[in-house]
Amino acid sequence: MSAPITDDDLSAWADGQLPPERRAAVEAALGADAGLAQHAQELLAQNAALREALDPWLAEPIPARLLAAAAPPPRPSPWITWRPYLAVAATLALGLAIGWYGRELTLERTGTPTTFARAAAFTHVLYAADQRRPVEVWANEEKGLVTWLTRRMGVQAHAPDLNALGFALVGGRLVAGHERPTALLMYENTDKQRLTLQWRRNDPSVEETAFRYAVENGVGVFYWIDHDCSYALSGRVDKTQLLAISRVVYGQLAAADAQPPK
Amino acid sequence: MPDDALPHPDLVAAIPRLRRYARVLSGDATRADDLVQDTLARAWEKRRLWQAGTDLRAWLFTVMHNVFVNQRALARRDARNVSIDADDASEVWQIAVRPNQQLRVELAEVLASVGRLPVEQREVLLLAAVEELKYEEIAAALDVPIGTVMSRLSRARGKLRQMHAEPAVGLKVVRTRPS
Repeated sequence: MSAPITDDDLSAWADGQLPPERRAAVEAALGADAGLAQHAQELLAQNAALREALDPWLAEPIPARLLAAAAPPPRPSPWITWRPYLAVAATLALGLAIGWYGRELTLERTGTPTTFARAAAFTHVLYAADQRRPVEVWANEEKGLVTWLTRRMGVQAHAPDLNALGFALVGGRLVAGHERPTALLMYENTDKQRLTLQWRRNDPSVEETAFRYAVENGVGVFYWIDHDCSYALSGRVDKTQLLAISRVVYGQLAAADAQPPK
Repeated sequence: MPDDALPHPDLVAAIPRLRRYARVLSGDATRADDLVQDTLARAWEKRRLWQAGTDLRAWLFTVMHNVFVNQRALARRDARNVSIDADDASEVWQIAVRPNQQLRVELAEVLASVGRLPVEQREVLLLAAVEELKYEEIAAALDVPIGTVMSRLSRARGKLRQMHAEPAVGLKVVRTRPS
């Protein structure tokens, strides 16, 4: 005995969606039950009536706007297609630029040997060319100069004696840096060649370096980092001479640091 | 690119059936064509979701159903304070009769009865009885369980019979699937 015939069975029968074995069962029941058969016939008639009522709509002309909507949309321009990728690329580029700029900012503030050497050469050019007022405090007030620089720098200043090398102290000044001031001492020989020794305090993280040499705009710079400060000796003299002077400066500073503060 | 496009001729061929489905859904000829237009645009947008080789018509019905449901939800939200029942627009159920003088009164009545069904029953009835979609396809298109399709269909047919005022004399009580 198969399951009783349900409304769903009759619907599916009328719609031709019954699986074969169920259809056989339903049709057997229809054959045996006139009332059921009439119900089924009504469903068929209903379907037919629905189609007859709704099919005329299909023959209506299609409005142009719907034909247009069915047409493939215009091929997106490469700009549209690539726009998301371009946006990503632009964002990435911007990020890199900001990162790079930020790096520059960081470097300018905290300094690296390289940026310090560049700044030192620039400062050297600026003040060494100044005949009338290359320094703020002249050498005749050397003691006051050293005291002043010590106070302003927050680290004991020393003025190396380069007379043995033919360079006399001219004087000194403070130079504004990005974050912290740089001290400058100027020396001059009888040929009016000028040297500057500049130093500024380091971040604690900065590691000591040996002498390094750079030429910036024709100005030779030897620079090195000691435990407290970065130093740069600049001048338009040849590398060998500048290195020799740098060694003297370095030696005198190291010796001065080794002595107990006065 | 073949996987990047809908078959244009099939799409055009489906327009009349889309318009019909749209009319059954919206009950308004102008709104129906708006719905068709939106559906076609949506279909092109979503063309990658159509699997080539499957029934384009059934897929388009799915798209239209979704567009309709979304628009109706938006309309309801926008018109919360305005008393509009989009389902009750009856214009279409009369318009279709008038230009067909040969249409029997009986068919006009059928049409009018369809217009009085809730939209959920109308669309199931159209898709099953007129478009002859498989119940599974209808369930997929409307995103409802197949049992829901069957019960809506059953109720739609029962109401049509009632409205048809043909008393079901001599009919045995037919067991309805419990829902």
